[in-house]
Amino acid sequence: MTKLQQKKPKISMKQIEKIITEYQGKKWALIPLVQKIQEQAGYIPPETIPIIARHLGLFPAQVQGVVTFYAQLYTTPRGNNVVRVCRGTACHVRGGKSILKLVKQHLGIDEGETTEDMEYTLETVACIGVCALAPNLMINKETHGNMNPKKVARLFGKSEKE
Amino acid sequence: MDTITIILNGVEVSGYPSTTILDLARELGVNIPTLCHDPNLASTGACRLCLVEDERNGALLASCVTSITPGMNINTNSPRVIEHRKKILKLLLASHPDSCLVCDKGNRCQLRQLAAQMGIGLNEFQRLPQNDIIEEVNPFIERDLSKCIMCGKCIRADQELVVEGAIDYIHRGSLVKAATLNEVPLEKSECTFCGTCVAICPTGAIMEKERAYTGTVTNTVTTVCPYCGCGCTILLGVKDGKVIQARPAEGSPVNAGTLCVRGAYGWDFISSSERLTTPLIRENGEFREATWEEALAAVAEGLGKIKESSGPDSLAVYGSTRCTNEENYVLQRFTRGILGTNNIDNGSRLYSSASLTGLGATIGYAGTTGSFDVLERSKVIIVIGANPEISAPAVAYAIKRAAKYKGAELCVIDPCFTQLARFARFWLQPKVGTDIALLNGLAKVIIDKKKFDMEFVSRMTDNFRKWEESLERYTTDYVKKVTGIPAREIQQVAQLLAEAEEASIVYGNGVTQYATGTDAVIAIANLAMLTGNAGRLGGIFALQRENNARGACDTGALPDFLPGYLSITEPQNRQKFEEKWGVKLPSAAGYSALEMIEKIREGKLKGMLIMGENPVESFPQPAQVKEALSSLDFLVVADMFLSETARLASVVLPAASFAEKEGTFTNFEGRVQRLHKVTEPVGNSLPDVDILLGLAEAMDSPLPYSSSQEVMEEIEETVPFYRHLAFGEAEKKDSDLADVDDGGTATRRLHKGLFPSGFGRFSPVKYIAALPPEGYPLTLVVGSVRFSFGSGGRSSRSDRMSRFYNNGCIEINSTDAVKLGISDGDKVKVKSAHGELEGIASINADLHRGMLFAPVSLLGSSVYKLFATVIDPQSKTPAIKSCNVRLERV
Ligand code: SF4
Ligand code: SF4
Ligand code: SF4
Ligand code: FES
Ligand code: FES
Repeated sequence: MTKLQQKKPKISMKQIEKIITEYQGKKWALIPLVQKIQEQAGYIPPETIPIIARHLGLFPAQVQGVVTFYAQLYTTPRGNNVVRVCRGTACHVRGGKSILKLVKQHLGIDEGETTEDMEYTLETVACIGVCALAPNLMINKETHGNMNPKKVARLFGKSEKE
Repeated sequence: MDTITIILNGVEVSGYPSTTILDLARELGVNIPTLCHDPNLASTGACRLCLVEDERNGALLASCVTSITPGMNINTNSPRVIEHRKKILKLLLASHPDSCLVCDKGNRCQLRQLAAQMGIGLNEFQRLPQNDIIEEVNPFIERDLSKCIMCGKCIRADQELVVEGAIDYIHRGSLVKAATLNEVPLEKSECTFCGTCVAICPTGAIMEKERAYTGTVTNTVTTVCPYCGCGCTILLGVKDGKVIQARPAEGSPVNAGTLCVRGAYGWDFISSSERLTTPLIRENGEFREATWEEALAAVAEGLGKIKESSGPDSLAVYGSTRCTNEENYVLQRFTRGILGTNNIDNGSRLYSSASLTGLGATIGYAGTTGSFDVLERSKVIIVIGANPEISAPAVAYAIKRAAKYKGAELCVIDPCFTQLARFARFWLQPKVGTDIALLNGLAKVIIDKKKFDMEFVSRMTDNFRKWEESLERYTTDYVKKVTGIPAREIQQVAQLLAEAEEASIVYGNGVTQYATGTDAVIAIANLAMLTGNAGRLGGIFALQRENNARGACDTGALPDFLPGYLSITEPQNRQKFEEKWGVKLPSAAGYSALEMIEKIREGKLKGMLIMGENPVESFPQPAQVKEALSSLDFLVVADMFLSETARLASVVLPAASFAEKEGTFTNFEGRVQRLHKVTEPVGNSLPDVDILLGLAEAMDSPLPYSSSQEVMEEIEETVPFYRHLAFGEAEKKDSDLADVDDGGTATRRLHKGLFPSGFGRFSPVKYIAALPPEGYPLTLVVGSVRFSFGSGGRSSRSDRMSRFYNNGCIEINSTDAVKLGISDGDKVKVKSAHGELEGIASINADLHRGMLFAPVSLLGSSVYKLFATVIDPQSKTPAIKSCNVRLERV
């Protein structure tokens, strides 16, 4: 297996500022705007917060407040691939915890962290809705069911990564 | 309006619909504990501590957010209520550290008060992990979020009252806390150290930082902030006979729970070690300490001799906008009645007499026409030549609240970027000195489009045709050429102003401190009358720098007016006071402040009394002023400090601070407010009024007053618009601002748009181009900065403000800096045709190209040495706002 998925587009501050200007003066537009930035830049660079605030007529601290409130909005760069290990009940009773531990070992990072090469970000989620296949994990939008140590190694093991 | 009747704790009571249960209860003296509620903030119902029970159905209601409805049967203290309240308090305390006993919030902590009232011990619950103290280096505020109960009041105060936006919630769930952007310390954030959040925080989570200013106060006195013309009500807390902290008064119609850094922390100059504590007499060139008897006798003799040998008009008196109404009144009586001259003026000559002259000539009323609430409810606000964030913070708060939360459109007209511009729909940047062209241009657009208030103009004003004709030249194209403002913007702003239901124009020193200042004020008044925004709706807001600038003029510390703006040259005006005081008054108008210096140089003035002002630092060309004052035969200075001016005196008299005396101050709105004595004067210093009374006695002409109250009683009698204002009632809200129904000249306010003389008068004013002198391509603009007020006499002696302030920089636009090869932090020299000054450069990207900005006091030296003495012929105000300079690296 080669690359798990296409590298996400990284865009310049200039382009981000262009997105922001589209929403000029619309206070309600904060959430759609930051979502759009995140979609295109992969995260919401903190240096954009004062610019967003100025264009929307909000205080920078207010924008930060909203951005940090939603777990789905990030102010740090994210890996090219986001791994989400399920910690829902079904997965938990079928060894989800060990799966998480294994993934951590393979990637060498903790929950909420990103590998140095920017390949992976590791997160956990509550039930992802395919309990029958527990334990589960997701890589980006793809679900991987019936996880076991072997499979984890196959997904994240050194040999596969080259 | 119909009222609603409910039962409250078994008693039938009634209130207006939409009154909350809490408000009704408090009105009736029934106490309901609260934590997250504050009368100046919108209620959020977050803490639920204010629960009450509706006995009809047992519903528990948060009383601070629940309006009364007919038939409610409210019990504020039922067993269920008490049980719940205790539970909530315990939960709050569970996550609170055990440091109550050492917490310096002391008896101001509401959490602790409530726990004590309800008999809850401080450690029944399991503790939760906590955020920690935040490392900050500022000397004002410390945050320890482990004591935070997340009531959100600090955030709401910061965003909704002072509208700075320095803090907000960050994260969620158990991690949530109040933080600055990127969680930097306050000094690196937008925080202005206004102290509003400190006052409102119900716990010790946000509080004064330094030990010297913390602890339990034993006595609190309500008085007035001594700094700017807003005149905020402050509560000074005393511990061991010393003022240790200031809080805003919650219910003040001026500042409603807010302050700025000067009112919150800058008052500590009162305990500066530099305070003068004893009279000083110069002997063989050196000062020696003296008793009051000696000093007063020396002054009586010094002034008396000159009067005898050279006549009364060889004496002059300069009064202070930092002194009370009573002191200025006594000072002018002393000058006119005892010294026998009209050579008296006060410090407001330097910044607000263009308003007296200009507004007097047009609307016939010499000051601001509206009050804070009128400003805040305006639908359009134009701010021109003023930076209220610095010069009048409480005004800035009102403007920002209007713009951000009340739908007002804000237009800022200023060549420099000001923080207010962030809230503005329009920020027009006219070239320096072109305001009149712009104002005339706006008027012309409105007239051409027939958008003016015809009914008001025809019914209430005079001279319209002639004025209209004078505007012929001010086409949009011409104005664009002169000011550099795009035609479209001129038209848009004109339209905005014309169509506004209610508009206000706010202006400050950026208008008045020019040689054409009076004309610019007239242009503003013309525009206000044209759109019907003078007195009836909206208004003209003339900011004033110092606290009592308005009062010093009202009470007659002026060379041409008796108290109440009665012209001194009119015999019947003099007669009124001659009868009252039993003396003959001099009939010719006296010299204004800057003329005094000129007359000393001409040898016409030989002796001077200066009370609480520092002309050496605040007049143009300090070296010459110094030389002139030193050449006097006799100079007496009454001051709190040995100022640059006091150093030149023959006798120095130690004056008490604002916190050490009684009296009244009149703020820029015209609101007369009561000053209360908080502590005894330091050392042997005395309130200025006592100094004057002593002096009158030493001159064998005792004045018949034994207290400030008696002086105020006389002011009420002699100054028509202070009439309905009993000394004792000065603090009753709005008693001073109410429209008085008898119309006529006696009214304090413009009564429903009625001008005192019956008509407002349009007056043509011309823009005159000023050519910059060869070789000085840059324009230096001078103003106050947050931590150094005016020429810095008090702020530089405020312990905390002076430690935090970096001494000021010369700000320069980035493009100009590159061109001149100057980088941030470089040592530079500013040169004008009149002097030069060194300072440190600081790059300010928001500054217009070709402009520099500097505070009045730079590294302890006055920037006015760069200025020529150019005087507005109408107002006699010196042009000390800007001058032409060049800049060099050293
Ligand atoms: S810091 Fe004080 S005011 Fe702010 S949320 Fe905490 S307890 Fe309330
Ligand atoms: S001191 Fe004033 S500006 Fe600073 S955070 Fe508190 S309320 Fe905001
Ligand atoms: S706004 Fe003016 S009056 Fe109010 S606290 Fe600040 S300096 Fe004092
Ligand atoms: S618990 Fe893991 S998918 Fe439902
Ligand atoms: S005071 Fe009413 S909910 Fe906090």
